[in-house]
Amino acid sequence: MSADTSKPLAPGVRPAVGWSLLGSELSVLFRRLRTWAMLLALAAVPILIAVAVKLSSRPVAPGRGPLFLDRITQNGLFVAVTALVVCVPLFLPLTIGVVAGDTIAGEANMGTLRYLLLAPAGRVRLLLVKYAGAVAFCFAATVTVAASGALVGVVLFPVGPVTLLSGDTIGVGESMLRSLVIAGYITVSLLGLSAIGLLISTFTDVPVGAMAATIVLSVVSQVLDNLPQLDWLHPWLFSHHWLGFADLLRQPIDWTSFGANALLQAGYIAVCGTLAYAKFSNKDILS
Amino acid sequence: MKEPSPTQRGAAAEELAVETHGLVKRFGQRAAVDGIDLAVPRGAVFGFLGPNGSGKTTTIRVLLGLASATSGDVRVLDQSMPAALASVLPDVGALVEGPGFYPFLTGPGNLMRLDSADRHALPATRRQRVADALDRVGLTHAAGKKVRAYSLGMKQRLGLANALLRPRELLVLDEPTNGLDPQGTREVRSLVRSLAAGGTTVFVSSHLLAEVEQMCTHVGVMSAGRLVAQGPLAELRSAGQRQVVVETPDAERANGVLARLGLVPAATPDGERPIEARAVMNGGLAGPAPEVIVAALVADGVRVRGFAVEDASLEDRFVSLTGEGFDVVG
Amino acid sequence: MTRAKRRWLPALLIPLALVLAVLTGSVQAGATVSLPPKTADEVLAMIARTQVRAFSGTLQQTAELGLPDIPSSTPGVTPGAGTALEFLAGSHTARVFVGDPTKARLQIMDAMAERDLIVNGKDAWFYNSADNSATHLQAPKPGAPTETLPSKPAMPTPEALANRFLAAVDAGTEVTVGEASSVAGRSAYRLSLAPKDPGTLVASVSIDVDSETGFPLGVHVQAKNQADPAYSLAFTDLSLTAPDPGLFQFTPPAGSTVTTKVLPARLTPVPDADSSPKAPSPHGTRVSGEGWGSIVMLPAAAVPAGLTSNPQISQVLQSVSGGRALTSSLVSVLILDDGRVLAGLVPLERLQSAAAAQ
Repeated sequence: MSADTSKPLAPGVRPAVGWSLLGSELSVLFRRLRTWAMLLALAAVPILIAVAVKLSSRPVAPGRGPLFLDRITQNGLFVAVTALVVCVPLFLPLTIGVVAGDTIAGEANMGTLRYLLLAPAGRVRLLLVKYAGAVAFCFAATVTVAASGALVGVVLFPVGPVTLLSGDTIGVGESMLRSLVIAGYITVSLLGLSAIGLLISTFTDVPVGAMAATIVLSVVSQVLDNLPQLDWLHPWLFSHHWLGFADLLRQPIDWTSFGANALLQAGYIAVCGTLAYAKFSNKDILS
Repeated sequence: MKEPSPTQRGAAAEELAVETHGLVKRFGQRAAVDGIDLAVPRGAVFGFLGPNGSGKTTTIRVLLGLASATSGDVRVLDQSMPAALASVLPDVGALVEGPGFYPFLTGPGNLMRLDSADRHALPATRRQRVADALDRVGLTHAAGKKVRAYSLGMKQRLGLANALLRPRELLVLDEPTNGLDPQGTREVRSLVRSLAAGGTTVFVSSHLLAEVEQMCTHVGVMSAGRLVAQGPLAELRSAGQRQVVVETPDAERANGVLARLGLVPAATPDGERPIEARAVMNGGLAGPAPEVIVAALVADGVRVRGFAVEDASLEDRFVSLTGEGFDVVG
Repeated sequence: MTRAKRRWLPALLIPLALVLAVLTGSVQAGATVSLPPKTADEVLAMIARTQVRAFSGTLQQTAELGLPDIPSSTPGVTPGAGTALEFLAGSHTARVFVGDPTKARLQIMDAMAERDLIVNGKDAWFYNSADNSATHLQAPKPGAPTETLPSKPAMPTPEALANRFLAAVDAGTEVTVGEASSVAGRSAYRLSLAPKDPGTLVASVSIDVDSETGFPLGVHVQAKNQADPAYSLAFTDLSLTAPDPGLFQFTPPAGSTVTTKVLPARLTPVPDADSSPKAPSPHGTRVSGEGWGSIVMLPAAAVPAGLTSNPQISQVLQSVSGGRALTSSLVSVLILDDGRVLAGLVPLERLQSAAAAQ
């Protein structure tokens, strides 16, 4: 054999945890053109909102349109919050659905799944790494919207102290901090959907199917959440607390919905995660 | 029609790299693999031969833990599968059912990605090992290109490079010459030989007889989910029968003479050549010498225009084993 | 195959564990608390003696009066009759902060919006985030130093509501102590007020009283023909420490529309429609009957103009002989064609016969 620079570890020697697979997953995810296209599309949402408000000759009437739309002209920092409100119901779930639905099914479709397993990545480890990648994307997507909103707001509109829902006013620094907490809240909100996408992804070799199913579920969940006849079901829907980040804009911050949301998402992660584990570890990789 | 030869039973005593007992894999009611007992000796180049759809790839998937066996035992490198997957697979390089790569990454990018999935692989040497593997399969020139732009042959080479990322004890190559031009095929052949010379056991599946004949020391033949024969190539070949072929317009008379000499008349392969008579020599060893046969034919007035004693080709052997023809094109 | 089955095991066990956790959680929440037994008089005395003056907490208000669905407050609706009506259906969450007796803040937490009432000495502000409007409410006589806005009674706390019911306790009410319960994480005595009058719609009113401080933690009104409480107001979270005084400082945010209003005698509309039957009658209001079954009658002149033309109100009214009526599991209101209004915690028939008796 040609110059071999490594020897296999002696049997019995515990191998490294192998963070490099996670690193590789992240680099593959964020080097993909598709990922960048989605992030750019998300970044465009606040820009569109801000430009539309800037160009519109008519001032926005208070209480019309999404949260804080009327206040953007007075304070650019509101662009980020308004954009997040706009993105949470559809655009963010759409992109998360693509990434989470692609996790396993995408690898199976490209034929790389069998080679990852032969490496051997280990099925549980691969599942965890793929989920971690989806979670990283959730955070990146949310932060992209918030950061793009903050930037375009600063460029197009005056910046000053921010009015909370309670009518109190906080400084620019604290408003940045709260934006970050909101980004965290939305990331947590999307964890359940990511776990659902991962689960669906283990059932198919057709990534588009898994993506579509995940996105459809996110819409269905939101529709059910709006049917008053099903109010017994509402607290169990993964989208139930999606817009609850408004509680972070009150004075003082109300952490109740943050906690309830985190608990709910953790439940979805536990259930979908174990189902995905059971399905994936028993799956015959025939792709 | 299995023919366990005495030497095969002896092979069980020697160290086996791959071993299965009563391996069955069903998809619903259909048994893709129907109770096979593989025995691949260490250091062998084992040709896993069979027509498309005979269960070769499914067997390989089960061996490598990609699919679970419905029943039966599998041992790879002396460890029970799939229990020992994590400790066995790092020593196994594989190319299963064609290459699978991220089209948006470069060739080296893909190899780095797959290598990082292996917890046993040292990250420090990753770059060097990837470069070495690419060099071995002759892909260094395409290192900067995205795999999207690779031809099928280049992808196949990249798949081989992936199997060679680390020193392996066992290489499992499923149809390694698919999509390669004759030059590439030759290169793969010599690569396999050099690996085998280094002590690596190579398990090559193919539906191409010529390919197997040219690089393998051992052969297993699959047909419709069953392993119909396995053993050293030479043994299988010698187990075949020698044939006497007489070119003559008096085919019937010639057959009579041959039968009288104790040879069993055989059908001519394509029936279009009535000027030919064929007969099988019993056991392939004993029997009258060729000159005796020719003398007897001539003495009987058979107009002998050509005469040959043919060793049974592996092809004939496999046709008789599987009842199917093979693509002989290399 | 057994290996495969084993892998499905966690997928069964974890959801099972979660269901169990949820079930035990809800069982624990409803678990009875053991407290030293107390008589009704002792609990009443506890309420009277309560020393809780400063606190912050979250209130959950639920009304299931059997009214037709009222559209939730649309943005831009100014506080008024329509908004008050909103509290007669569905559930609302509010946070309440009470500092010293002159400082209080109420936050009604709507989806993506909030309405705030801040009382600080002589100043009071109402802020609505939906339309970014702030209303400065001033006491009727701004100059008078003794005149401060009422703070604690103005906050619709269980305590305020309990006191209203307790003021109405008379011989016609049976007061008992029920099983102890847990409210907002605190153990509480449950005081039950049951009207003996068969004519009223009220089955009972129960008041959860904090076992430690005597502070009312929740009030639940049970209607006769309904299993679920018709109305309940209770803390889901309560802290008995003084809130940050900064919460009571309110400056209208930049860009908000500010209006100033001099307050009439009454403050904000109180969520409960039940006004004390023995209240003085300023506009010629007459009260007939006694206790729980009493009926309030307003002459046409005392009824605010345009009451029935309010679209939100007219939506819940139904036509009956002689006028239009609002019937619910707890309250009935009859608006006669001649403009008079009758209301009471009684069935509609009693209002009609009372109207006929005039």
